[in-house]
Amino acid sequence: MPNVVFHRNGQTFHGEIKENANLVVRAGIRQFPYPNFLYGCGMGKCGKCASLIIKGGEHLPEPNWKEKKRLGARIERGYRLACQLWISHDIELSQEATPLADVVAPGGVG
Amino acid sequence: MQQLMDHVQFRTALENAIKGKSANKAPFSIAWASGKLSRAHLARWAENHYHYVGPFADYLGYIYARMPEQYQEAKDFLLANMYEEEIGGDRHTDLLIRFAEACGTSAARVKDPDNMTPTTRGLQSWCYSVAMREDPIVAVAGLVVGLESQVPSIYRKQTPTLREKYKFTDEEVEFFDLHIVSDEIHGERGYQIVLEHANTVELQQRCLKICEIGAQMRLLYTTALYHDYVAKDIPLSELETAETRVPADERALLQA
Repeated sequence: MPNVVFHRNGQTFHGEIKENANLVVRAGIRQFPYPNFLYGCGMGKCGKCASLIIKGGEHLPEPNWKEKKRLGARIERGYRLACQLWISHDIELSQEATPLADVVAPGGVG
Repeated sequence: MQQLMDHVQFRTALENAIKGKSANKAPFSIAWASGKLSRAHLARWAENHYHYVGPFADYLGYIYARMPEQYQEAKDFLLANMYEEEIGGDRHTDLLIRFAEACGTSAARVKDPDNMTPTTRGLQSWCYSVAMREDPIVAVAGLVVGLESQVPSIYRKQTPTLREKYKFTDEEVEFFDLHIVSDEIHGERGYQIVLEHANTVELQQRCLKICEIGAQMRLLYTTALYHDYVAKDIPLSELETAETRVPADERALLQA
């Protein structure tokens, strides 16, 4: 089962998830990484679940059309929309308080 | 005499009740999965589906109002579910209309209740009836566990078929995409509510029965779509040939 390491607001959370799990779905049903994971619409629109992939990104599928549309060049900087990802391997990721605002701001997270 | 089931037994029983008995033989589903439907057929599906899923927040609103106030978490779930259906992102029915337009029909035709079959009207009426008259926990079992929780697995199968066999674009089939996440959350939380609050033998049995009826209603709806719109173009004999090429799990998943 994949191990997830998740950073937010200076804290680190660890958890194990079932193979092929979606972190937004898990948070939505009150399982790790709930209550620390930011998410919104679950449909790739709002960008609240945008996450910087620190490790394990090579196991993820290519960004889909919604991620490309919402994240644009931020994908090159390692950002993905968690609501669009089903995770089957260990992964380490982080979220900021307002993920998309942070990555578009000059000198933001990169 | 029936015994009170623990959560594991009860969940398994619910899952079995939802599966139904003969759903994987529905000709409309076989035609869909084998790529035989025309865009006109899919347009008719969208015009009907709108009247089944379009009022989902209305159904939930009735359940919300009757859910006991001490079941705070269940009420909050229903409210969140309604919000997400309507204004949490894109309104779900707007995306259904986008798909319908790609099939060649119009928003006006989709919204016009005269364009649904009597059977679709029956399914919609059953949903309203369950929401308004059943014990609210039984209603959650029927509408959220029995119907909504099935959507992610169905649409996970349908979406690639729509892209690959029917050549729709990503944006045209977004209606199917979005439900994979949101309805997985809604369905699972529905299970949690039913498992927690159906705490008598009688309530558990009523939940199982309504899931069984929900499976029958879905099958009735899907079967009518074939007879009302597709039979004149694609005879059953042609589908019997196609059936052998459509995996059984795919047929089962295409019922809703």
